[in-house]
Amino acid sequence: MKRGFYLKIAFENIRKNTQLYIPRILAEAGLLGCLYIMITILHDDRLADALGGSYLKMFMSFGSFVIGLLSFILILYVNSFLMKRRKSDYGLYNVLGMEKRHVIRVLFAESVITSLVSAVTGILFGILFYKASSVLICRLMHSGIVPGFYYLDMRTVIFPVVVFMFLDMLAFFFGSLSILFMKPVDLMAGKRVGEREPRVRWILLVMGIVSLGSGYYISLTTKAPLQALLLFFMAVLLVIVGTYCLFVAGTTFVLKCLKKNRKYYYQKNHMPAVAGLLFRMKQNAVGLASIAILATGVLVMISTTVSLYSGVQDTMNSNYPKQVYLSAFSEDGELVNHVSFDILSDIVYKAAENNGLEITEMEKTNMLTVSYLLRDDVLLTKPEAEEIGSWDMSELTSAIFITEETYERLKGQTLVTTDARDLGLEKDEIAFSRIMSTAEHFGDVPETLTIAGKTYKVKENILYFPISATYGNIVDLIGIVVADEEVMDEIYRAQRESYGEYASEYAGRLGLNFSEEVSSEAGESFSSDVKAMLNEQFPDGINFMIDSKWESLHNVLDMYGTFLFLGILLGSVCLFSTILIIYYKQISEGYEDRSRFQIMEKLGMEEREVKRTIGSQLILQFFLPLVTAAIHTIMAFPILLKLLKILMLTNTSLFVTCTIITLLVFGVVYVAVYLLTARTYYRIVH
Amino acid sequence: MELLKVNDIKKTYVSRLGGTRVQALKGVTFSVEKGEYVAIMGESGSGKTTLLNILAALDKPTGGSVELDGKRLDAVRERELAAFRRNNLGFVFQEFNLLDTFSLKDNILLPLVLSGVHPSEMEGRLKSVAVSLGIEDLLEKYPYEVSGGQKQRAAAARALITEPRLILADEPTGALDSQSASDLLRVFSQINKNGQTILMVTHSTDAASHANRVLFIRDGVVFHQLYRGESDNDEMYKKISDTLTMLRRER
Repeated sequence: MKRGFYLKIAFENIRKNTQLYIPRILAEAGLLGCLYIMITILHDDRLADALGGSYLKMFMSFGSFVIGLLSFILILYVNSFLMKRRKSDYGLYNVLGMEKRHVIRVLFAESVITSLVSAVTGILFGILFYKASSVLICRLMHSGIVPGFYYLDMRTVIFPVVVFMFLDMLAFFFGSLSILFMKPVDLMAGKRVGEREPRVRWILLVMGIVSLGSGYYISLTTKAPLQALLLFFMAVLLVIVGTYCLFVAGTTFVLKCLKKNRKYYYQKNHMPAVAGLLFRMKQNAVGLASIAILATGVLVMISTTVSLYSGVQDTMNSNYPKQVYLSAFSEDGELVNHVSFDILSDIVYKAAENNGLEITEMEKTNMLTVSYLLRDDVLLTKPEAEEIGSWDMSELTSAIFITEETYERLKGQTLVTTDARDLGLEKDEIAFSRIMSTAEHFGDVPETLTIAGKTYKVKENILYFPISATYGNIVDLIGIVVADEEVMDEIYRAQRESYGEYASEYAGRLGLNFSEEVSSEAGESFSSDVKAMLNEQFPDGINFMIDSKWESLHNVLDMYGTFLFLGILLGSVCLFSTILIIYYKQISEGYEDRSRFQIMEKLGMEEREVKRTIGSQLILQFFLPLVTAAIHTIMAFPILLKLLKILMLTNTSLFVTCTIITLLVFGVVYVAVYLLTARTYYRIVH
Repeated sequence: MELLKVNDIKKTYVSRLGGTRVQALKGVTFSVEKGEYVAIMGESGSGKTTLLNILAALDKPTGGSVELDGKRLDAVRERELAAFRRNNLGFVFQEFNLLDTFSLKDNILLPLVLSGVHPSEMEGRLKSVAVSLGIEDLLEKYPYEVSGGQKQRAAAARALITEPRLILADEPTGALDSQSASDLLRVFSQINKNGQTILMVTHSTDAASHANRVLFIRDGVVFHQLYRGESDNDEMYKKISDTLTMLRRER
C-alpha cells in the first residue's frame, strides 16, 4: 500500500474525532510548555546572574521532575481512554481487510501527527510565555534587573520535546499492544459486557478510614513545628492512601446503604442515579480520587506559597523589631558588656555615618540563650534528659536569660510596659515569661523552675518580655530574668559542662534602628564597614555576628519568590490535569449513558426527569472531589501552620485569608469547567 | 368495546436536504377490541415500525388520528406524554432494553418508580407478575446473568406491572431461540386469556399464529386481515403462510 495512504486515514480520523483529540493536544502542549519554561529557567544564565537565586535551580529541577511524572500519568490515562473510544474504528478496519500491522501503522501515523502538533504548539507556547515567566520571577524576587530578550537555546527546546516524544511513543506502544491482543469481533463490538455489581471491599474500607483518620490525627495533634516537618510527609502519604481507599470502597458502601433503604431507593429521582453511580464508581473511583488529590495539591501549594510570599514583610517586621543586631560573643564566660558595648556603639555610629544612615534607637542587651527541654517545671539539657530516658520534640524550649539590671534598662525602651513595678528579685527567685509558645502551653506558668538541679521560685510572670526572637519560632521560647550576673554565671557554667563544645556563649547584643528603612545596598555596605572596624579593633580576633533585616529579606525573597513561582506553575499544571481528566470522564460517560437514558425515556421517563437524574449524578461525581479537597485542606491547616512557622510565617489570619481566596478561585474555575463539560455531556446523551 | 381506534393514519417523511418526500404510511385504518391479541405483519420497509412508533406516542402522524380508550393521542399535551405512556402502555422490545445497572427486580419496578408508586405497594404487584411469568427466582439477578428468554420475560413483566390498557410488542421473539420464543408466546397467550390486550408487530409467522387476528401491512396500507375464528395455532400458521405466499405472488 502507498505510504501516504496511512497518513491520509490518520488525518481523516483525527479530523473526525476533534472532540477527543483537541483536548489531548492542548493538554500535552500545556504540559510541554510548562516543562520548557522550567528547563529554560534552569539554563538561562542571565536569570541566574540577575537573581543569584540559589533556590531557583533546586526548585526548578524539582518542578520539572513533578511535571514529568504528572505528564507520564496523564498521557497514559488519556491514551487508554482514547483507545477505548477508537477501538471500534480499528476493529472495522481489521474486519474490512486491513491486517493488524496495517491498523497499527494507522495508529502510528495518528500518534506521530498528534505528537508533532503538540510539540510545536507546546514549544511556541513555552517561548511565548517564557518572557512573561522570567519577568514574573524577577518581580517576585524583587530584582531590579529584568533580562530583556527572549531566550532561545536548542538544548532547552530539544529536552522537553524528547521527553514528550518518548511519552507519546510509550502510549503508542500500549495502544498497539491492545490492538494486537484483541479479536476483531471484540474490536467491532467495543461494547460493554455485563458488569458485576461492585461489592463493598471491607478491607479497603477499613484501611481507608484508618489511614485517613491517622493522617488527619497527625495534622490535628502535632504540636511542635519540628515534629510537623518530620510527620508532614507521613501525613500526606496517609491521606493519599486513605483518599484512594475511601473513594474505591467508601462510595460503594454508601451507595449500597442507600440502595438497601427501600423508601429512599425506590423513588424516581434516586433509583437511576444511585444504581448508575454504583456501577460508575467502580470505574471512576480512582480517577475521582486523583482529582481530589490534585485539587488538594493545588489548594495547599497556592495558598501556602501566596501567604508566605505576601507575608514576607510581616514576618520580617515581627522577627526584626530592630533592623540590625550586632552580637559579640565572649570566649570563656567573661562578660563583654561594659567595655565592649562602648566600643561596639562607637563602631556602629561610625559605620552609620559613613553610609549616610542615622541611628535612632539603640538597644543594649547582655544575654545568654540556651536550648533546653521543658518538662513540667524542670529545664533539662539534652544530655541530662537522655540520661533519664527519651525526650519529645514538643518539649524543646529556648530560654533567654537576662539579669534584672538588663531587664530594667530594656523595659524603658519598649513601647508596651505593663510591668511597671520593679522586680526586686532575690538570688533564688526568677521572673518568667513565655515569649512564644504553642497554643497548648500558652499561659502555662510554673510556680517554681529547676535549672541544673537548683530550684528557683517564679516571682513574676512577665507578659511582654523586652527581647523577641531573631529567628523562626520553631520551638517554644521563654524569657527568664535572674537576680544578677552571679546567678547567670552559675547557669552558664552548668550548661557549658553539660553540652561541652556545643554549649551556648554569652552574647552582648546591640539592636539598632535607623531613621528610615535601610536598602539592601546601603545595608551591605554598613555591615562590611562594621566588620572591617571590628577586625581592626580586635586584631586577635573576635567572635561576632551581624543579623540584619535587609540581608534576611533578600534571602527570604529569593526563596519565597521561587517558591511562589513554582507554586503558580505547578498549580496551573495540576489544574490543567484536573480539567483534562474531568473532560474525558464526562465524554466517555456520556456515550455510555446514552442508551440507558434512551431506554428510560421510552419507558415513560420525562425529559426533565432525565435531566434531573443526569444532573444529580454529575453533581455528585463532580463535587465529591472538590469537597474532599476542601476538607483535606482544612484538615491540613493545623500542620501547615506549624510548617509555616519554620519558614517564619506566624500570621495565621493571612494564611486563612489566602486559603479561603484560593479555595474560592479554584471553586469558580472548577464550576466553570463543570458547566462546560456538562453541556458536552448533555449533547452526547441527547 | 373498542380500545384502540386507528383512523386513516398517514406519515410522510421529508428528507433533510432536497426535500424528497417518502410516504411511509398512506392511510392505515383499523381498530382493536378490548382483550384482543392482534399481530401486525409486514416486510421490512412496509411501515410497521413507523406505525408502532405512532401508536406508542413516540412519533406524530402527518394525518389521521389515534384514539386510545376514547382519548385522542394528539390531544395529550407534550408535557403529559411521558406520563400518558407510562400509565396506559406497556412495551416489550426486540432487544429487551433492560438496564444493565439494575437487577431484574429493579428493572421490573422501574415504571412503578417513575409513576411514584409507594414501595410497600410495589412488592405485592411484583410478586404476582413475577409468578405469572415464572421468574420469581431470578429477581435478584442482573440482566447479564440470565438467558435471552428470561430477559424477555422480565421485560414482559416490566410491561405488565403497570397494568397497562395496551401492551405494544415490537418483534418480541426476534432475538430469541425457538424454544425461548415459543415459551414467551405461550406466556403472551396466557396473559391475553387473563384479559390483557396485546398488539404485536412481527414478521415471524410462528409468533403471529398465536394472535387472534393478523393484519398485513404492505406499502403503507392495511392490505389484508385474517381472523383466527375456530382454528388452532397450527391451522392459523397455515393460513398466515398461505396469505404471505399469495401476497408475494401478487407482486
